[in-house]
Amino acid sequence: MYQTFIGLEIHIHLITNSKVFCSCRNEFGAEPNTNICPVCMGYPGVLPSLNAEAVRKSYQVCMALDCTLNETAIFERKNYFYPDMPKNYQISQFAFPFGINGFFDIDLGGGTVKRIRIHDVHLEEDAGKMIHSGGVSFLDYNRAGTPLLEIVTEPDLASGEEAEIFLQQFRQMVRYLGVTDGNMEEGSMRCDANVSINEQGKGLGIKTEVKNLNSSRFVNKALEYEIKRHTKVISAGGTIIQETRLWDEDRNVTRSMRTKESSNDYRYFPEPDLPPYLPDKDFLQEVRESLVELPLARKGRFMSEYALSESSAAFVTGEKEIADFFEKMVQHGVAPQTAARWLSGDVQKQLNLSGESLKASALTPERLSRLLVMVEDGKISRDAAKKVLAAIFTENEEPEKLVKDLGLEQVSNKEDLEKVVSEIVNAHEKVAEAIRNGADKQIGFLMGQVMKATAGKANPKIAQQLIKNNIFKQG
Amino acid sequence: MHIFEKRWSTALSADKKEYTQFVMRQDETVESFLQFDPERGIALQHTNGSLAGIPFGVKDNLAVDSYQLTCGSKILSGFTSPYTATAVQKLIDNGAVVVGKTNLDQFGMGSSTDTSAFKKTNNPWDTERVAGGSSGGSAAAVAAGLVPFALGTDTGGSVRQPASFCGIYGLKPTYGVVSRYGLTAYASSLDVVGVLSKTVDQSRIVFNLMKGQDERDNTSIMHPGSSNGGAVKRIGVLTAQKGVLHPDVEKSYAEAVGRLQQNGYTTREIDIETMKYVVPVYYTIATAEASANLARYTGIRYGYAAQDAKSSSDLMEESRNEGFGDEIKLRILLGTYVLRSGFQDQYYHRAQKIRTAIRNEFSRLFNEVDVILMPVFPTPPFKHGDSELTPFQQKVADKYTCAANLTGFPAISIPSSVENGLPVGVQLIAPPFEEERLFAVARVCEKDFPSPDSPLYKTSWS
Amino acid sequence: MDVMDLKITAELAKLALTEEETAKLSEEVARMLEYFSSMSEVDVTHLEPTNYVLQKENRTRIDSEKNESDIPDKILGNAPRREDRFIVIPNVL
Ligand SMILES: [Mg+2]
Ligand SMILES: [Zn+2]
Repeated sequence: MYQTFIGLEIHIHLITNSKVFCSCRNEFGAEPNTNICPVCMGYPGVLPSLNAEAVRKSYQVCMALDCTLNETAIFERKNYFYPDMPKNYQISQFAFPFGINGFFDIDLGGGTVKRIRIHDVHLEEDAGKMIHSGGVSFLDYNRAGTPLLEIVTEPDLASGEEAEIFLQQFRQMVRYLGVTDGNMEEGSMRCDANVSINEQGKGLGIKTEVKNLNSSRFVNKALEYEIKRHTKVISAGGTIIQETRLWDEDRNVTRSMRTKESSNDYRYFPEPDLPPYLPDKDFLQEVRESLVELPLARKGRFMSEYALSESSAAFVTGEKEIADFFEKMVQHGVAPQTAARWLSGDVQKQLNLSGESLKASALTPERLSRLLVMVEDGKISRDAAKKVLAAIFTENEEPEKLVKDLGLEQVSNKEDLEKVVSEIVNAHEKVAEAIRNGADKQIGFLMGQVMKATAGKANPKIAQQLIKNNIFKQG
Repeated sequence: MHIFEKRWSTALSADKKEYTQFVMRQDETVESFLQFDPERGIALQHTNGSLAGIPFGVKDNLAVDSYQLTCGSKILSGFTSPYTATAVQKLIDNGAVVVGKTNLDQFGMGSSTDTSAFKKTNNPWDTERVAGGSSGGSAAAVAAGLVPFALGTDTGGSVRQPASFCGIYGLKPTYGVVSRYGLTAYASSLDVVGVLSKTVDQSRIVFNLMKGQDERDNTSIMHPGSSNGGAVKRIGVLTAQKGVLHPDVEKSYAEAVGRLQQNGYTTREIDIETMKYVVPVYYTIATAEASANLARYTGIRYGYAAQDAKSSSDLMEESRNEGFGDEIKLRILLGTYVLRSGFQDQYYHRAQKIRTAIRNEFSRLFNEVDVILMPVFPTPPFKHGDSELTPFQQKVADKYTCAANLTGFPAISIPSSVENGLPVGVQLIAPPFEEERLFAVARVCEKDFPSPDSPLYKTSWS
Repeated sequence: MDVMDLKITAELAKLALTEEETAKLSEEVARMLEYFSSMSEVDVTHLEPTNYVLQKENRTRIDSEKNESDIPDKILGNAPRREDRFIVIPNVL
């Protein structure tokens, strides 16, 4: 049996207004070659000027991953030619990146947490985009020079599935931090994986690197494919060729990229245009204080503090905005279980219908809390609450107004209800008699009649009590 | 005392035809400009500052909006810059007018301006000879009286050596004091924008207008001013090794030392042990940085593109091979090699460490002397072609100028004498930010020996 | 440096050299490298590299975008070959 070693190199696009070394807009989906300037196009004479926000977000990630921060961080030039890279060197960090030696705990479920070591976190610039068509390639440099943070793990992952879980939870974490939108389809989160296998206890084997993985599912599939391929080769007495391979998602295989060995000499050297970055204490303190509670910790706290089940807590803490929403509801007096149930059930349904995000929708924690307190107080029925919830999304109105407008207020007034109940009981004397003789289930029939008569607005608890009182009093 | 003679501030007013015709006529002999087009400069918004209306030339590796930017290389032929270098913009903001782009050795790599892909610039003292390099066009234009000053760039002596060859002043400021934004990079940690002018005060005023920290250049640094008001008493004189200097240069050097002593300076002979490593260290670092800086020229986004390339890789390789001159290729290969894995420690890293030793030695010397005097170049202006000085010999001869680039210290080349009809200069080096000391000594020498007028120099346009 | 070494170096530098150039340049590069060898005499054990001259610490720029309207078009205008707003090159694959 072989042991598997998987390491990931994850690139995330940082959310900033401008690119990392120039003032061009950092946005996805603009018209080709509109967000370009002499700097990001590598024009003669230009120089890079470092974006403060890209630095700040980089440090947030370093801290979230418990990295040791280098006192002096150094930018270096990574030299290689590629048409989408304007200067034909990438400004990156190599020997002294912002952060080194961190870790990230992944939750494998059932209380199992695995610690994955982080080798380093470094800031670099992205390249442009190419579209290949017929005999030519089309170049769009809007993305060239946008800030990219690279997170490199140690080879601590043992399977494709673990890699997939790592990516999902890592994505959740960086979205929590608000440093990236983590959209793998749009390329704002990308992943390369390296994998090797070896006999138990013998350490790392010869690795291959897999690129072109644009979903966490593909990472899993590509790695499982590679593990099988390595196993086959090694079992047959062969050796693995150290190389870069591409995942072919149509054929579900990896293919060799066949690059020449000599082109892998990147000739790193310190970027003379950017002096070393020395983070000062106040800055680091301020970044540290701005850090939010991370998903894994928050999930644990929700389980103990609010007595949520693991699955319920996992859902609620899946996105920071949901978790924040949840805690606001609890503050507004909604029972934690109720809040969690509504958020994972009807609210999610409505969001799927409208296609909105929670944040962009008309639903606020205050509105939903007040609505659920009305249910709790018996002012409206649960079904009515669902109708109001839907109406909040479409009408953007306060729940109290919608309850009134839709005429959903329950009749809880005892005198009014008593009148209806006594009419119904009188009209169905035979049923009342049967109930007196022990046919409890028939109460349901009378309840139905009461509801019919009140157009569903009767408070069921009170109505039931009144029916019983009426029947047994007469007896 | 006017810093610029009146004819300069009126050259481009109402009837500028006389001036422009004068320049075009003279430049048929000198060939200093790659592009002479004052109208473009007038169109750039300039104001009424202290340089109002003064024409100046800009070395063609400095970006000026709407002007060409060729760096003297075929790979950038036909290329127009969409922006202006910070240093140039500051002069425009003070009223000066760019009249054209001057010739240079391709990408600033050379000591003759003969490696330019477009033309050979002639020394106004003797057109058979080079004007020096790489800012040879700027030096020749000033020495021929076409502009009162011109901007150059100095990576290993490229302002000081042509200034010396043409009998004018050439200032290389402290590294980082003038923004490099818009200076086409040759060797980023050595490059500075410098000034070539007919008088010391012209260089001084231009320098003072150009200096300052720039948001676009993260290596730029605020000039704190001189630590001692520019006072100079003690001058360290580098002992000239016998036989190293051409007799004319040796004679001129001795004359300069005598002039300093007559003016009351205390001179002291000094020896600089690390001098012998200056050239290897310089070429290791400069070519390494150049190999990366010149990687951007591939015929894809701008500049020369090879025709009918079959793949993108071919397009890059062929454009570079057809677009770069031999000297560029040599330096790119050398720089790539010294950075290759397995060779970095032996060359690049070692050179950066020896650079520290050189810097340390200069700093120690400046505890004892206020400025250091040394030759600029071991020979007078040499003839075009390889007959007098091969490219390799030219590199070795960069010995005296490179030190100031490796240390980042300011230096100035000043005319010291005319020998056999050719001008010779000497060089002063000061500690960082002590440009005022250089100007002070240069001014004293200027009183006794001002910039000699070349045979082509005229003071009227007719 | 031998010719093979020069070829590897030229490939890294994306220079397509002719045989003639290769021979000539390998000689010139070799001469310079030999000249560099004097650096090996120096004891560098206690020397830090001077990667940065005077400005030893970086500054940062405030994260604000400013797009100059006509610059992207000027830049596109400089491209040797383009189609619509794309810069075009022979196929990379
Ligand atoms: Mg990377
Ligand atoms: Zn830009």
